[in-house]
Amino acid sequence: MTAIAHKVKITYCAECGYEAQTLELAKTLMLEFGARLSCIELIPWEGGTFDVSLDGDLLHSMTREGGFPKPAAITDAVRARLSA
Amino acid sequence: MTIDRVRFDQGLTYEAYKDQMTRNRDRLEENEQRVDLSAQDLAAFRALPRAVKVLVLAEDWCGDVIANLPVLGRLAKDSGKLDVRIFLRDQNDDIMQRYLNKGQFKSIPVFVFFDDDFRELGHWIERPASVTEVRAKRRKDIFAAHPEFGSPDAPIDQLSEETRVRLQAELTKMRDETVKFANAEVVRELREIATRVAA
Repeated sequence: MTAIAHKVKITYCAECGYEAQTLELAKTLMLEFGARLSCIELIPWEGGTFDVSLDGDLLHSMTREGGFPKPAAITDAVRARLSA
Repeated sequence: MTIDRVRFDQGLTYEAYKDQMTRNRDRLEENEQRVDLSAQDLAAFRALPRAVKVLVLAEDWCGDVIANLPVLGRLAKDSGKLDVRIFLRDQNDDIMQRYLNKGQFKSIPVFVFFDDDFRELGHWIERPASVTEVRAKRRKDIFAAHPEFGSPDAPIDQLSEETRVRLQAELTKMRDETVKFANAEVVRELREIATRVAA
């Protein structure tokens, strides 16, 4: 069996004060999945962004969905990918 | 919830607001220095029959506050005709709920203009629509001129770190180039509201 590296990226608007939501989600992922995620990347950006992607697939976009994601929705999506 | 003199006076003066900022004060003060008020605009504010009260909702992490509050600050300082009081958005949700952008977003800054009897003359939220429009067009032009940036609608995390840095530099340059236009638009819109005060 070949191990697959799974990577989460959180792109957040650094001008909008979204650090708290970013860190909360990163912490949730760290505690839930530990070393089963190869990387959690935090990308400071602008323009009201709050995007979360897993292995290049967009799980949540503030522009697309509106608002912040529920951490449980993100962990559910990640769990489903890890067990696929 | 109504705004009266007692509530208004609980707000921070512009200088007191700056003193309590935990970040971005240097950027705010740099923008303050860059505001270029025309003689006509300044004369219009100085000619107001009496001082107009301006309630502000702000937070120091917000880019639009850092860009636009200094324009109001300079107008107040240079004209002597605006009495500004600033409230932190996240500690004054009752005021924020009254001035939601499109009835749903807690966009800031919010500037609310009142006469002496606290009758509202008008309010202003976030940034002029004309500025949003011009910057959206300029952003589109940047992506058209740089195919390496990909689609303007694609998630930014699909770009390499090096490409992201180059894109960010282009966007910063574009914003710098449009600051003069943006400030002039803010002044034009604030002047239109402030001059509604009755003689």
